[in-house]
Amino acid sequence: MAVEFNNVAPAMPACWRKETKTHKFCPGCGHGIVLKALGEAIDELGIQDKVIFSVDIGCCLLAIDFFNCDTVQTHHGRTNAVCAGVKRATPDKIVIAYMGDGGGYAIGSQHLVNCAARNEKITSILVNNTNYGMTGGQMAPTTLPGQKTETSPYGRSVEQQGEPTHGPEMVAAMAGQGAYVARGTVAKPKQLKNYLKKALQAQLNGSGFSFVEALSTCPTNWATNAQKTWAFLENEMQAEYPVGEFKVPEEGGQTK
Amino acid sequence: MRDFKSVMTENGKGKFYLFTELCKGCGLCIEKCPKHTIGWSERVGIYGAPTVEPGHGEEDCIACKTCQTVCPDCAIMIEKIK
Repeated sequence: MAVEFNNVAPAMPACWRKETKTHKFCPGCGHGIVLKALGEAIDELGIQDKVIFSVDIGCCLLAIDFFNCDTVQTHHGRTNAVCAGVKRATPDKIVIAYMGDGGGYAIGSQHLVNCAARNEKITSILVNNTNYGMTGGQMAPTTLPGQKTETSPYGRSVEQQGEPTHGPEMVAAMAGQGAYVARGTVAKPKQLKNYLKKALQAQLNGSGFSFVEALSTCPTNWATNAQKTWAFLENEMQAEYPVGEFKVPEEGGQTK
Repeated sequence: MRDFKSVMTENGKGKFYLFTELCKGCGLCIEKCPKHTIGWSERVGIYGAPTVEPGHGEEDCIACKTCQTVCPDCAIMIEKIK
């Protein structure tokens, strides 16, 4: 028996801006799950009034009005650099950089690498959907070998285009003492929320750079239905990109 | 806080709220449901795509909240009946 209501509030994180929902991402997009996990992590730490949220260009910029937080939008992978500046100017704020794999690993990789090398006290979240979603699904550094995209219609060739970029492994190698590096997946939202919470806690403790990559879905550009979307994420992507923590700060800011 | 229109389906174990102004009809919850009870509804969502409702499989909803967790749009809310 179905009953209609007009006055029931959905189970949204408290820091989401309700006026802008439903959000602008495509049906089935993993950004919603990542941002829900991030919203829950912000709520549980109680830091909503301290957060400065920075979005990069690409699909992730559709999150510009997502939270009831101060938000800044930057271009072409510069969100890490802008966040580093914001954090140095206002050290008591919690600064979150939010970007996609194209922005973080292709056009913005120098900023990611140098932020990690300088161990900037910011939190960087990268959403990996193996293509450039907003511009129509072109090949990205994270496209899997053999995966068909707009610009690799016969599948990505390892000989010509190389192996996919493994971001957290690269950042873990670059980052200094006290950094937190992990890779989560939207297929396990609770684990992802745990990683995001630890990353924000690392910034609250001031221990170092914190970086979380989230394996995400792109049904529009993969041209998959719900069943094939989960299958691609859980079988092919997670086989190429292992999920887990790569660097964890110990007590006192030392790294394992 | 803004409220959204919702449709509530109730069985013995829980209340299944579906927010038609939030559901885009992606179907991720249908695949993740451990009891395969979620299916397409006749009501349409915000983008004109069908929304979802429980009670389609052989087994009924057990109010495990898996669909609520994986919904990217927060369009599903489960209230357990104690």
